[in-house]
Order: sequence, then structure tokens, then C-alpha cells
Amino acid sequence: MAMRELVSGGAACAVPGSSSSSNPLGTLANALIGSSSKTQERLREIPTATATTSDGNLYAGVGEPFASLPGSELEHTLRPNLQGSEFLQGFRSVDQGQFSDAWDEIQRPQVPHYQGRDGLTNFPLEQPLAQQNFDGPPQRVLSNFLHSFLHSSHGGIPFRPTSLPVLGLSEGDKQCIRDRSSIMARHLFADKSEEFIHSQVNALLSSLDIDNDIRARGPIPGDIRSWRIIGMSPKEQSQLASIGQMRGSNMPNLAAMEQTRLLAHTLAQNNDPKFQNSKFLQFVSNEPWEITIEDNQFKPAAFSAPGDWATEYDQQYAGGQSWADQFSNEQASTDWTRPQWMLINLLYGCLLLSHGPHGWANEFAAEREQHGVTDNEWVNEFSKLNVNDWSEEFERQVADGTLGDASADNWANAYDEYLNEQVALKQKSETSRGLYEFSDLNPYVGHPNPLKEGQELFRKGLLSEAVLALEAEVMKNPENSEGWRLLGIAHAENDDDQQAIAAMMRAQEVDPTNLEVLLALGVSHTNELEQAAALKYLYSWLRHHPKYGTITPPDQPENLYYADVARIFNDAAKLSPDDADVHIVLGVLYNLSREYDKAIEAFQTALKLKPRDYSLWNKLGATQANSVQSADAILAYQQALDLKPNYVRAWANMGISYANQGMYEDSIRYYVRALAMNPKADNAWQYLRISLSCASRNDMLEACDSRNLDILQKEFPL
Amino acid sequence: MPVFKVPFNGYSVKFSPFYENQLAVATAQNFGILGNGRLHVLQLGPAITERASFDTADGVYDLCWSESHDSLIVAAVADGSLKIYDLSLPPASNPIRSLHEHGRECHGVDFNTVRKDSFLSASWDDTVKLWTVDRPASVRTFKEHAYCVYSAAWNPRHADVFASASGDCTTRIWDVREPGSTMILPAHEFEILSCDWNKYDDCIIATASVDKSIKVWDVRSYRVPVAVLNGHGLCGEEEFAVGVDMSVFVDGLLASTGWDELVYVWQHGTDPRAP
Repeated sequence: MAMRELVSGGAACAVPGSSSSSNPLGTLANALIGSSSKTQERLREIPTATATTSDGNLYAGVGEPFASLPGSELEHTLRPNLQGSEFLQGFRSVDQGQFSDAWDEIQRPQVPHYQGRDGLTNFPLEQPLAQQNFDGPPQRVLSNFLHSFLHSSHGGIPFRPTSLPVLGLSEGDKQCIRDRSSIMARHLFADKSEEFIHSQVNALLSSLDIDNDIRARGPIPGDIRSWRIIGMSPKEQSQLASIGQMRGSNMPNLAAMEQTRLLAHTLAQNNDPKFQNSKFLQFVSNEPWEITIEDNQFKPAAFSAPGDWATEYDQQYAGGQSWADQFSNEQASTDWTRPQWMLINLLYGCLLLSHGPHGWANEFAAEREQHGVTDNEWVNEFSKLNVNDWSEEFERQVADGTLGDASADNWANAYDEYLNEQVALKQKSETSRGLYEFSDLNPYVGHPNPLKEGQELFRKGLLSEAVLALEAEVMKNPENSEGWRLLGIAHAENDDDQQAIAAMMRAQEVDPTNLEVLLALGVSHTNELEQAAALKYLYSWLRHHPKYGTITPPDQPENLYYADVARIFNDAAKLSPDDADVHIVLGVLYNLSREYDKAIEAFQTALKLKPRDYSLWNKLGATQANSVQSADAILAYQQALDLKPNYVRAWANMGISYANQGMYEDSIRYYVRALAMNPKADNAWQYLRISLSCASRNDMLEACDSRNLDILQKEFPL
Repeated sequence: MPVFKVPFNGYSVKFSPFYENQLAVATAQNFGILGNGRLHVLQLGPAITERASFDTADGVYDLCWSESHDSLIVAAVADGSLKIYDLSLPPASNPIRSLHEHGRECHGVDFNTVRKDSFLSASWDDTVKLWTVDRPASVRTFKEHAYCVYSAAWNPRHADVFASASGDCTTRIWDVREPGSTMILPAHEFEILSCDWNKYDDCIIATASVDKSIKVWDVRSYRVPVAVLNGHGLCGEEEFAVGVDMSVFVDGLLASTGWDELVYVWQHGTDPRAP
């Protein structure tokens, strides 16, 4: 019978006369024909073998459901139960290595094995193993095998390459298995080393006789993973690198290839994973491989230009500031503008460092993001990434000539420049945070009473003028806390946050118990989402308050918990419900914890008590905008503006609210109006730019970049 | 508790937005590594009954119900195609459409709940594609990720915003009106398998990663996560358990499931200290 020949003849790779159980048809033949072979005895032994590991238990459990599942009617095999159980039982012996022995036996005649596999797949009796139709014992074998692979992570037992009966998988199948199993292995074993994952996948694939041709999906690209904790020893790196050099070598003839693979299998039987990895890899490095990815190395095939890759890196780790991305997108994408926009990026971060008391301007625009990222945080994140190591590695790669020469040099140089800039900026931003920058050419410097002048100007609403006058005052009397305080408020209302905070800090230094200053500082830190600092200031506000100082515990606790502070404030509010300030602070606190509804409630209570406090209207509006009630927010801002028409911050916030609702045309007008009143409001310029691009007014972008207010005002009147 | 056993390994389950007792299950043979797939539509009642099932050549990794037609389901199949099924038609004429544009496996699909006419597919070929039900070709392709994109989720309030989670360890937020991503969240140190938006607060997004943690982020302050939820033994995938059609209306309720075969339900509260 043809079947018999194929099974027990040379084609089936079995040593003649003694077919092994690893051959499905051989087993079938044995079962049907009942030849007493070594195999049969072994099979009979198996049911008594106890499963020693959890893997074995899993196999045991798998057998029964398969028969009873509704899907099983799809499978039509010759002797389903018999086959299934034999194979399942066969699997129990995996860990005892019995099948390995069988495999060794088979491997001695090497060439015939390969031919035999071909022959088997052509065998008509065998179920067609097209993808559409996975029937028969090979399917069960395969699924059990895959189950065991996936479950091997549970037991923490490294999955050992197992000999398997020939499954007759098509090329497409093999590719699927290879790709998907490597992706899944990366998920399962993410906390283990790449080496481990690699060996597991190799074990799986070698057992299934799949070429580990990494031409398909490899692990994530090196530029991302190279900062990860997973590292490879230099030896492994060089090994893999050597594999990487092997490319496009001619495919050896079938027999030699087969020899290699079999030899590799034999070696892979060795339990030592290190041995597996090194020797195995050396052996299979003779195969026609095309390496794509190794961790900490770069994907030569995929990185068409180092420029692209570096840009990708930037996007990944540059904090993804939206306007910056837009900026680089809008410029020619091939343009090497990275150092420049990085710089601008950082400057933008500096400016957004501090928001004044009324600066709820860093609302999140869902359509376009505006990030109030503090520069420090960003920079810290960046320096965590050990970029120096990485850049050295890259330089090494460049030296090896792996990547293109000219572009790589440019990139490396640009990168060095950038690093220097970044360090410089970081230093600058740290010191500038508390440093107030006085304006030049101040006409009020000789004025006899600049404070009074400043107050008058402020009352009139001429904020920029008031700022100058107040600066003159504090230059004359640096210890004048009122001067500093008013200066801070003026800057905040002018939407110049950095200066506002600087001024407020000075005010606090001079007079640590001034309640208004403390409140203002608390609010600004809340704006920056610096919860700890905000809590500190708001808590001090409470302690220094004559009325409420008593309800706070005598000693300042080390770590202020938000819940405690909130509770105390609520008590204070109950103590005197008519004190608008307590409600204001409460509203600020709720903003910290994003309980916007409660914040709105608190502000509304405060507004009943102080309806003419324009900054309070602004706070209400900002809170509403934060909780995505932009339409209501606009009403609140309008109230603020009715009370104080020159309130730059409110104008800008209006613009933001319109932008949030997607009404970009309107938002542009508001921004322009705000900027007309204070051309120094840098963040408003950024918002304007974004709105312009959202409204597809790229023609005006240049005017925006050059800060040409005349053109903009003409184009966008209110 | 009623139980329905499916023959293959389950990948995704979704309730119908129209009928509260109807749900669909995406399954794949052999964990989706190799084999067929099947899409089941189940009816809940005193016991769970199967209303329909559709076989596919390759595993079904994900599915979503159409928000505009109560009988349409889109399935993401491991061979890279998207299949649209119409339950009102007999099985012989299903799938009514097969959209095959992705180069690799299609891992995630999500329907736009605001606009109700379009859906996204996330694929291992690093791209996310935008489709509408009536067009045979994709409307847009978003190609920025450096590795497989595992999941894409529309923002529940803003019709044009969506997030994608990828094996390149980032989550990107996109606006379909913009050419590129509007924000990149380098959310984890390892691959991110799943992401979802908080249905109540459209600025909160949760990401689940192979590093066994789930992090909740506020896109306004994306540097630091709002919360980090650890607990899974193996990689997690998740879904914010709140949806218009579900009976649980709790803000911040998050359900996650992982390869450790456990389901966790978390309450992400507004107090930052609460887990």
C-alpha cells in the first residue's frame, strides 16, 4: 500500500522497520495494522506516565473538551479519538524527553527526511492542510503545541524545542506562525531578556520546522528599544551583528541546508539556554538570513535615512508638542529643521512655565493640544533616556559604515549642537523661574511716586503702562511687597505668566504672610498642575488667615494630602459662608483635583458674594472650559470683560474657548485683539498660530511668525 | 451565571449598541497564531443562545458593531482584511463586504460613536486606516507608528479625535483633520496593547501594556500619569466599562483583562490618591 511505504519507508524518514510515533501516518499505520514496534510499546507506556509539570496537566485538560466542543464537527478524520488521544498522550511525554530520543533516531538518515516531508504533503490521503481547513490530528497536535508554548510562561519553564510529527504546514502557514508567535512571545515574555524571547521563539519554530527567517516581523525597532532596560551582553551583540552582516548569501542546496537544520536541532536539545542561543545561532547563521532588528542595534533595512529615524525619535521623545509638530510638518518635511524647532520647543516650554493667577489659559483643546509642559520636566525625562550612550552607539554604527555616511555626519553634528543647546536652556530655565526681568527704557524710573502712578494706571486698565510704573517702584524700593504684588497681578492679567510668577515670588519673600500673594501663588501652581506646591501655598493661606488660622493643626505636616487640605477648607467655608475668599480657594483646590463641577459651584458661590470681581469671572470661565462647557465659559468671560475691558487674559481665554468648539475663525479674532493689547503675550501668539493653521489660513502664518499685528488686525477685526 | 463556550480562543466581545441583550464575540483558533476564526452573535436571555456565527479563513482579532445600522458588524481578521457582516441577511450572503488593504494582520477596529458613519482599523503593518461603511476603499491612512498598532479608539465626545496604541510603546492621539498625529504619549516602557477613553471625561485615556500595568493619563498633562494600576500577572488589555448601552453608569469604572486570564475592575476616581 502506498500508505505503508510512505509511512514506514524512507520517505517517512523513519528507520526502516521501526517507525517512530512522531510520524502521524506511522502511528496510524501502527494502530491499524497493529505492528508491534518500539513505538507501540512506548505508546502503551505513556498513559501511565505521570505528568510531572504543569504543562503536562494542561495537555491532559485539553484532550476532552476537544471532542465535545461544538466546533468539533468540523473535523473529520479517520479515527479522531484514537489519533487525538495518542497524540495528546504523546505530548505528556514531552518533558520526559522521550520524543527527543525518537527525533534523534530519525535524524540519522538526513536527506531522506526532507524528501519524505515533501512526499507526505503530497499524499492524497492526508487531510488538505490549507488554511481554510484545519482538520485532523496534525491540527490537534499543532494546537496543543501552540497552547503549550503560550502556557509555558505560566510555569516559568523555558519552552524547550520539541520534536513534533511532520505537520505539513504550507509556507503561508509557517510565515503566519513565525510572525504571530514572535509578536505574542514578546508580549508574554516582555519582562525577560530579548535573548530569552529569542530562544523561546526559536524553540517553537524549530520544533515546527520553520525557518527562522527574520525577514518577516521582528521586534520593535532598535531606536525605541535601545533605551530599554533590556540589554544584551557585548558578546551577544557581536554575534547578532555578525549575523547581520550575513545577507543575501546564496541558498545552499537543499541537503546541506537540511543538514544544518538538523544539526541545529540536535544541538538545541541541550538544555542550557546559553548554549542554545550561541551555538544554534552560529549554526543557523549559515542559512540565508536577512537580519532586520536586534535590540540596541539599528535596523539597516528599515532606516532609509538617518534623518527620518531621528525625526521619529524626536517625535517620540520630544514630548510631542503639537504646535511644534505642526511647525515641523508645515515646513518642508525633508528640511533638517530639527535643532531649530527643538530650541523653540524649549523656549515655549520656558514661557509656559508659570501661569499667573488668572491663567487658566492652558486649557486642553481637544482638537489641538496645547501643552503647558514645564521645561524642567521635559528635560528631566529626556536626560533619563541615556541619550549619550545611544548617540555613541550610533556613532559607532556610522563608523562601521552600516549607515549612509554624509547624512549621518550631519545628523550627528546637529545632534551634538542640540544637546548643548538643551543643556544651556535647562540651566537658563532653572534660574529664570524666579528671576524677574525688568524692561529696558522705562520712562517712569525718575518718577517721584511710581507706586501711586502704577496703581492709577492699573485701575484705568492700562496694564502695560502699569507694569512699567510698578517696575520703577520696585527698582526704587525692592522691599515693597505691595509693589511686587501688584506687578505680579498686572503681568498675570496681561497674560504674561513667567513674569507674574517671578514677581509674586519676590512679593512673598518680602512679606511671607500676605494672604493675597499666597493665594496668587497657589493659583499659579495649580495652573501648572504642581499639586504639592499649590497645596503648600493654599495651606499657608489658611494658616496665616486671622480667622481660620485656628482650625488648622498647629504644626505644618510634612506631606500635605489633598484630601486633608480640602477638608479643612470646607470647614472654613462652613465657619463663615460669607467669606468669598474661602470659596475662591476652594474652587482652586477643586480644579487641582479636576472636580470641576464642585469648583464651578464654589466659584459661583463666591461670585454671589463678589459679583464685580472680574478675575473671579475669569476663573469660573476657565473652570467651565476645562470641564468642556466651552459655551458657558464664553458667557463667563464676557462678564469679566464687561467689568474690565482691557483684560488681556480674558480675551485670550475667549479665543481658546472658541477654538475648543472648533470656531477657529472667531478664535483668531479674539487672539488678535488680545495681542493688540499686549504684544508680549507669547503664549497667545502660539495659540493664534495654531488657530490659523486649523482654519487653514496658512497665508497669515507668516504674519503671525513675524508678529506683524497690523496685517493681522486688518485681516481679522472684531 | 450563564456561560457560553466557544470552540476557539476568544479575542474580543462587544455589546450591540442597539439591543442590550445582544453581543458579538470574535474568536480565533490556536490563539490566533494559525487557524480559522469565527464571529459569534449571541443573544442573552435565561441562557445564552447563539443567533448567528460566521466562519473566517483566519482568526478574528476584533470586532465592532455599527452605530448607524443595528445589524452590521465589522470584524478585523488576522489576514489583514476587514469583513462587514449584516445580520439581517442570510449567512450565504455574508460577509457583505471584505476590505483588504492592510499589509499585515488587522488587530483592532472601532466605530465612531459620534459621527456614526466611519470606523478605524488598527493593524500590525503600523498603520491605522479610516473607513466609511459605504466606500470600498479606505478614506485615510495614518502611518506614523514604528511598530504594530494594536488598538485604535475614538474619543467619545469629539468626532474627529482618536487614539492609537502601538507596540512602539507610544500612544498617539490623532485628529482626522490633521495630517499627522497631534500628540504622542510615550506611555510605557513596553508595548502598549490597548487604550481606551473615559466616556465621561474626554481628556482621560487609559493605556494597558505588556509591562502588566495600566496607566491612566490626562492628555492635558501627559507627562505624568494620573494613576498607575498594577495587578496583572501578565500583559493587560482594557476597556473603559462605561458605555451608553451598558447598564453600568459609573464614571471612571475601568475593566481590564489580561493574559493572566483575570478580569480586574478598577475605579479610577477623581481623588488622585485613589487607585
